[in-house]
Amino acid sequence: MTMTPAARAVEVWKVYGTGEAQVQALRGVSAEFERGKYTAIMGPSGSGKSTLMHCLAGLDTVNAGTVYIGETQVTGLGDAGLTKLRREKVGFIFQQFNLLPTLTAAENITLPLAIAGRQPDKAWYDTVILTVGLGDRLHHRPSELSGGQQQRVACARALVSRPEVIFADEPTGNLDSRSGTDVLNFLRDSVRQHGQTIVMVTHDPNAASYADRVVFLADGEIVDEILSPTADSVLDRMKKLDRNA
Amino acid sequence: MIKASLRGLLQRKLRLALAVIAIVLSVGFLSGSMVLSDTLNARFAGLFATINENVAVQVQPTKESDNGERVLLSAAELEKMSKVDGVDKASGEVSGQGVVPFQSDTGDEVTTQTTIAAGTDGRDPLGLVELREGDWPHSADEVAISANTAKLAKVKRGEQLKIFVPQLGEPKNYRVSGIVGYSGGRDSLAGEALILFELGHAQEMFYGKRDVFANASFSAKDGVTHEELKKRIEAQLPAGFKALTGEEVTEQQSNVLGDQFSVFQIILTAFAIIAAFVGIFLIYNTFNIIVAQRSRELALLRAMGAGWGQVVGSVMLEALIVGGVGATLGLALGAGVGALVERMLTSGIGLGIESAGIVLSPWAVLWSYAMGILVTVIAAFVPAIKASSVPPVAAMREVVRPDKSLVGLTITGSCFLVPGLALVALPLLASVPQSTLILAAGLGLVFIGVMLLSPMLAKPVVRLLGYLVGWGQAGKLGVRNSLRNPRRTAVTAISLMIGVTLISAAATVTESFKTSLENDIGRYDVAIIVLGPNTAPPDGRTGYNPTAMDKVSQLPGVTDVASWHITLNGALGGQPYPGLAATDVAVAQRMWKMETIEGRLGKLSPNEFVIDDNLAKDRGWKVGEKVKVRIEAVERDYTLVGIYKATPTVSGPLLAEAAVDDFAGGLAYQGFVSVSQGTDVAATVASVDKIMSDYPGVTVGDMSAFLKQFNQIFDFLLRAITFLLGVALIIALLGILNTLLLSIVERTRELGLVRAIGLSRGAVVRMVGVESILIAVFGCLLGLVVGVGSGAALSQALIEADFMTTIVLPWTNLIAYVVTAILFGVFAAVVPALRAAFLNVLDAIAYE
Ligand SMILES: Nc1ncnc2c1ncn2[C@@H]1O[C@H](COP(=O)(O)OP(=O)(O)OP(=O)(O)O)[C@@H](O)[C@H]1O
Ligand SMILES: [Mg+2]
Repeated sequence: MTMTPAARAVEVWKVYGTGEAQVQALRGVSAEFERGKYTAIMGPSGSGKSTLMHCLAGLDTVNAGTVYIGETQVTGLGDAGLTKLRREKVGFIFQQFNLLPTLTAAENITLPLAIAGRQPDKAWYDTVILTVGLGDRLHHRPSELSGGQQQRVACARALVSRPEVIFADEPTGNLDSRSGTDVLNFLRDSVRQHGQTIVMVTHDPNAASYADRVVFLADGEIVDEILSPTADSVLDRMKKLDRNA
Repeated sequence: MIKASLRGLLQRKLRLALAVIAIVLSVGFLSGSMVLSDTLNARFAGLFATINENVAVQVQPTKESDNGERVLLSAAELEKMSKVDGVDKASGEVSGQGVVPFQSDTGDEVTTQTTIAAGTDGRDPLGLVELREGDWPHSADEVAISANTAKLAKVKRGEQLKIFVPQLGEPKNYRVSGIVGYSGGRDSLAGEALILFELGHAQEMFYGKRDVFANASFSAKDGVTHEELKKRIEAQLPAGFKALTGEEVTEQQSNVLGDQFSVFQIILTAFAIIAAFVGIFLIYNTFNIIVAQRSRELALLRAMGAGWGQVVGSVMLEALIVGGVGATLGLALGAGVGALVERMLTSGIGLGIESAGIVLSPWAVLWSYAMGILVTVIAAFVPAIKASSVPPVAAMREVVRPDKSLVGLTITGSCFLVPGLALVALPLLASVPQSTLILAAGLGLVFIGVMLLSPMLAKPVVRLLGYLVGWGQAGKLGVRNSLRNPRRTAVTAISLMIGVTLISAAATVTESFKTSLENDIGRYDVAIIVLGPNTAPPDGRTGYNPTAMDKVSQLPGVTDVASWHITLNGALGGQPYPGLAATDVAVAQRMWKMETIEGRLGKLSPNEFVIDDNLAKDRGWKVGEKVKVRIEAVERDYTLVGIYKATPTVSGPLLAEAAVDDFAGGLAYQGFVSVSQGTDVAATVASVDKIMSDYPGVTVGDMSAFLKQFNQIFDFLLRAITFLLGVALIIALLGILNTLLLSIVERTRELGLVRAIGLSRGAVVRMVGVESILIAVFGCLLGLVVGVGSGAALSQALIEADFMTTIVLPWTNLIAYVVTAILFGVFAAVVPALRAAFLNVLDAIAYE
């Protein structure tokens, strides 16, 4: 039995606007994201990275093509179906503003479970909390945490419901290198130790080197990919892409 | 800078619309009620201008009834003044009040706003009234009536018309000698009835002697101005009279009629002020939130080099524009609604006066703009100052503004609340002078105190309420949201609290009063009550002839009858005392189970009287005290022979029956009948009613019928208050809606986030709904506590004054208010919740 990939895009087209102002953000993108793997998506600004991620996650609709999360076909789901998908199968980490200011860090982490009306699996919750490494700051409000700490809380929140796949759009984009490294380690550990699937958009070759595989996007098309990347190999490939563009 | 702020104005259409709506509603009610009363007044002024069309000068008594005595003009004095150079024609006026015609077919009284009864000698020199058919009245058995009266009473010329004249005590039949009308073919001036008696007959009836007049009107010869003629006539004025020009008379008369509506206007204005007060909170809150939300934008401007003054100035400019637009629209709305209501009112009561058009007084305009612009500018000022003083960098970062300390507010609030409570308690615990004033001041302080304390109260109360309504994660988030800015929650809730406070206070007092009356009235030996008409203040000329009670006492089963003569035109110990009663105190004592405290009750001799204990304490009188009692123009020394215990039903001075001779007329205003056990009360009521049918406006009923009538009056009052406060409540509703909508705009990204991690649309709706309900219920509870407390304090004060006996909480009403508040919350949440639920998740997350 072959395992279905955690997320899959088949011939996905995404077009913004009409007529003169039309932008083809995605032009027939097909990609698979294997379970238990850490994939980075790279590409020049405006190449469609965020768009692809939003379409994969069901945050945005596609014009043509099909998207699957696990066995579930995302394209064509209504709001109720999408809500269920977000509760059970997908986790998110945004570049910023990931936390509700009224809740403590701990409450933010368990929020997806509370929303879904599920009890946290005690052992898994403890594991996640331990990995976040916030210690006694766990009961502080987001406004009392540093940017890196906040982003780690956001990662923990995405992890706690054990989704099929976590999407992260430039999660380290707003952080200094030290805090960024913390977050990247956190994400990689969750893939290595707990078999989590993660898809991450980034501009940073160093961040991409934490992934198992890097997919390159340019002008709405997948143009290249590297397995087991290093910062240098990624940088190298990017320079090549720039020259072609 | 100005360009930036104008552009900003247009880009925030939603918030702008909300602010404008807030201002329009608040200004609208205020200006509407002002336009209504101005337009009504103008209509009356128009009416009297017509009446006084031909009057150049009118001579009137200086005071209507100085110490009760009526000053009259003699025929000789009138004659002398009519000889004054420049006088064209002169007319003496004879008129009486309380005259009522009966309908020819049913025998019921004619119902109109007023009946004008006058005397005529067959000429109307000033030409207001013209004879249409038949003749003027020439004997004491004839009357001429207006075409409208003929229509109302369903009589024709030559037929008999039954008329009640208070001075005669019994209705009398007159032959209709002629039908008159007004110039311009009008049947009436304003839907009133007009009866003209023969002059001498009228003088005898109304004044007790011939050849006297109440006042006189003069027209001027060509070329003589009204002012000039007034000066000339003034030289010939008899003592106790003054001269007015026709224009002055018009003004005076419309003021008098205006006064009849003034209660209505005062009430309307009071509610307009309440609505305006609530509106202030609404405008303040809306603008406050809008500017607070823009603090990042303002900080950006600051970072780009805009000065402190420029930032504040641009916000002020924005407030000025929004306030100006809102005030203008509100004024227009108010003018429209006010004029519409005026039309409905005047046609509703059959006031057939021509409209004078919509009157927009400078005051209405001034107040509208003051309210609209000032409040908006002040509301914007505070947050603008705050926004401009935040360091640019701090404001531009994504920060949650930490909760501002509520300590200052709490201390200030306590400084109001504690003395307020003390002032409320003082008159209830000890007897002090000016107790009503102290109580009112105390209640005012308590109200302000609670308002100031409400942000502090918001947290614990809302948290507690949250346990009740905050089900599920969506509910919990809603509870958190309503707690995150206690000031905002409190200010929003206060707008609802104001209305609820007043309504629940009124409900508590009326409920207590109703129950007290019900409990009290059952104790007495009175089965049937006869009540005089409420069309004119009692003075002996309205009510029934006491001889009718003799007939009642003959009815089977009747054991006791009593007639009470009541006058409002009297004085007790040198102070005017409206409500002197003369009756057989022996019977009163039996019927009302009056309890003697000092001296004796029972049959009084002439010039003796008794009073209740409160009044005795108030005036410091002991039994044996000689007190000057004035009735109408006559002042006599009375001896206080007894003091009785006041009850909610019986209190005040009771004079010996002989005092009736001094009253303006011999009619009794109230009557009471007791019956023996087993008597058919309903049948007896019917018989008494039959005996009383000759007396206009007199109603007969058994105790329970009167109790019911009383209750209906109270219920009606409460409904009227609730209805008028409805406007304030709707403004409050809008306030909740505004706060929620603005909060949702503020929390757009949060909404995107929670949707992205799996909160369903339904849950978002619930989350917003819970927040809305919490705000509404919080406001309602604050209002209930303060309102019921105030109502209870007022009731207690009334109990001390023996007007009431118990305090009863109107539970059904209170529950209804809470339920209404919840519905309000739900209602206010609809638009914001849908907006929140249908936000595009991606856009929301990317929202700046
Ligand atoms: N809502 C939208 N309306 C119109 N065009 C859009 C919209 N969102 C994205 N685009 C366009 O689609 C293209 C892809 O955008 P996308 O945000 O996916 O780029 P990206 O690769 O994430 O860029 P960056 O690295 O700068 O985040 C761009 O040309 C962008 O201008
Ligand atoms: Mg992007």
